[in-house]
Amino acid sequence: MQPGTTISLHMSNVETIPGKVLVNSLGLVTGSTVRAKNIGKDIFAGLKNIVGGELKAYTELLNESRNEALQRMMLQAHSMGANAIVNVRFATSNVAAGASELFCYGTAVIVE
Amino acid sequence: MSGVGVGIIIALVSVVGVFFFPTLSWALGRWYQGRLVRALNEQEKRTGNMLQSDRYLSTSSSMNAIGANGSTLLHVSICVGPSMGQMFFMWLKSLFGGRLASYDTVLDFGRREVLLRLKKQADDFGCSTIENIRIETAVISFAKNQKSKTSSVEFLAFATGIRQ
Repeated sequence: MQPGTTISLHMSNVETIPGKVLVNSLGLVTGSTVRAKNIGKDIFAGLKNIVGGELKAYTELLNESRNEALQRMMLQAHSMGANAIVNVRFATSNVAAGASELFCYGTAVIVE
Repeated sequence: MSGVGVGIIIALVSVVGVFFFPTLSWALGRWYQGRLVRALNEQEKRTGNMLQSDRYLSTSSSMNAIGANGSTLLHVSICVGPSMGQMFFMWLKSLFGGRLASYDTVLDFGRREVLLRLKKQADDFGCSTIENIRIETAVISFAKNQKSKTSSVEFLAFATGIRQ
């Protein structure tokens, strides 16, 4: 598999993939990414903090990062030969000042 | 005599100086967030309240899976934060404890908005039912130093959307 290729597997956060039959379970797969925001976004978010409300720069950053974490998880599942991931969970944590880790995990399975 | 006068003026200026910016920020924040909440109220009215429908569940029901055509993982997140003025007055209020109304407003707005967006995403993917809805809250601090005054809360909603 080429690095940078996007793959798409069936995913759900329930025990099965609705409409499919679970054939084999292959084990835990995880994906994570640590991100820090850039200084431009920092200054803008600082300004936005004067009025509060939604901080769009952070929302976008977190969405991008979460998609990357999911992509890594899917890549791992794909390399195990799975075609679906069930019971996907997300976790967010502050690992250092100025950086956040976005983490996702699930069970790689084969469905038909 | 003039020394006392100057002292009083300096004291007044410093009190005004300390409260001026937080008050301005508080007022601006209240106005801006009020507008956001009104817009959200209208949108909720238009799309209907998702909390009062059996199409949106926080449990997983095997009944929904029967005859399902496909499914997809839905996830939406939003970052919200109170204004600096609100945080300042909240700090003052927290000396006495009790209900912190401005935080209530911001967090309630964030949670309702994220659910609305989840619903929109489900519609975009053609999902008729959403099940196992989970909402997670995380404090996101991208601040480079601990003294930074910026603060934000991330709401993440994720669920399984089912196409029937």
